[in-house]
Amino acid sequence: MLSRDIGLIGYGNSIYEKRATRTEYSYLAEAARGALASAGVDKSEIDGLAISSTTLPPDNAATAAEYLGLALSWANVSTAGGAGAVISSINAVEAIEAGKANYVLCLAGGAQDMASFQNRITKFNAAVVDYLTPHGFGGMNGLFAIITRKHMERYGTGREQLGRIAVHQRANARYNEQALLRDPMTMEDYLAAPVIADPLVLFDCVLPCSGAEAVLIGPLDRVAKKKRVRVLAGAERHNHPIGEVAPLSGGWEVFRDGLYNAAALAPRDMDFVQAYDDYPIMVAIQLEDLGFCEKGEIGSFLAANTMTLDGSFPLNTGGAQLSCGQSGGGGGLITLVEAVRQLRNEAGPRQVKNATRGLVSGYGMVGYGHGLSASAMILETVS
Amino acid sequence: MTTPHAKPAYPQPRETPTNSPMLAAWREGALALQKCDACGHVFFYPRSVCPKCWNPRLLWFRSDGRARIVSFSRIYRGLPNAFADEAPVVLAELTITEGALMLARVICDDAGAIQSDIPVRLLSMPEATRYPLPTFTLD
Repeated sequence: MLSRDIGLIGYGNSIYEKRATRTEYSYLAEAARGALASAGVDKSEIDGLAISSTTLPPDNAATAAEYLGLALSWANVSTAGGAGAVISSINAVEAIEAGKANYVLCLAGGAQDMASFQNRITKFNAAVVDYLTPHGFGGMNGLFAIITRKHMERYGTGREQLGRIAVHQRANARYNEQALLRDPMTMEDYLAAPVIADPLVLFDCVLPCSGAEAVLIGPLDRVAKKKRVRVLAGAERHNHPIGEVAPLSGGWEVFRDGLYNAAALAPRDMDFVQAYDDYPIMVAIQLEDLGFCEKGEIGSFLAANTMTLDGSFPLNTGGAQLSCGQSGGGGGLITLVEAVRQLRNEAGPRQVKNATRGLVSGYGMVGYGHGLSASAMILETVS
Repeated sequence: MTTPHAKPAYPQPRETPTNSPMLAAWREGALALQKCDACGHVFFYPRSVCPKCWNPRLLWFRSDGRARIVSFSRIYRGLPNAFADEAPVVLAELTITEGALMLARVICDDAGAIQSDIPVRLLSMPEATRYPLPTFTLD
């Protein structure tokens, strides 16, 4: 059980850019300043730091502390790629409860562009270097195309059904100045886009970019009631199912019941979902695994629902990565930052009406064929 | 001497004590797989212990080189330079007859002929030597 007195008290983000005009630390620092300002907490009070970034190594949380001028009693670097920011935030609540720190800043982001991304993914980890890169595997697009086709062929999931995720998220992004892709997109636009790795087309694939996000974790009573966001439950799972190359589940289904039980809530109680969206198929699999529909029934679920922020199933209400871009490990925090913004009723023109509870899920660390790490948390406004 | 327009070489796997029997077999056009001497698990990629039971006694054997396509993609864009002029590159999840799952290229003049659940076999020599890792073609 997570502490009910410690939670999310600040959030911030940097600008997003297609090409890096600054260093990684510069983006992270901009996001960090925003998070502290939104909480009214001074830099000198920060004694915990957690970073989730796939582009930061060989730097780490200690070298980041040096750059940012922070002295720390708790430091953490995630190993879980796009699942890492949610996990770091859960760990931060636990670290504060254990007395290891008072205020923990969680950062995620990266400075990259398409060319540096394409180079990096050929060296992503040992299994990729030795057993995928020599095949010219086409990066993550090739791998998630295989998973997408498998889901379509096994369950009859349709391209237009999955495409509704990309199209509706783009509609949400129109109200997000941070999003790199804000032009309106119709289903016809989506279906007519160039094929990248069939069945995936251009708008199924995230745009690598530069940018960062931050959240501040601390005692909830430090901030005004309307700014308090409580973490009701959180969980992670790695390398599940064991031994599969292109699985149609990602591990969320293993901890789902425990997650909802800890929160004493059910999927129908969520006012929105912010899901990790490297590809629509993974959003679809997260929604199945997290119990919003049965396994294999996501196609009809998507057809029956509208995922816009004023729709029947508000999903990725700021447009998320498919519209904002994927800033390395920042992808795992953009969803959490959006959730906090919504729960504080500070989302402006993209505010989901009366949103008091939401689910955020993370996914990442691609190994030999698929992402190995899954995470999720359930959040609630206190007031 | 290479010209600026020469096609770059394929990236090569790093040869280690663990994977060298597999790479050596492939230089002869064969697929070598590991089988756990304790639990019988057959797997890819090469490891120093069985990922099922952690037994370190693993036996190398040569597969018959036949497999079925589980799922696949024809990759048209975003390919590294060494592969760009071969688009579409067909990458497939395969079930090898002896039980292992692997990801591998399937070479086929007509990429439109690729389907899920059809049989494939290892490329024959000497074409096989062109590719850094075990590579397949339609059976």
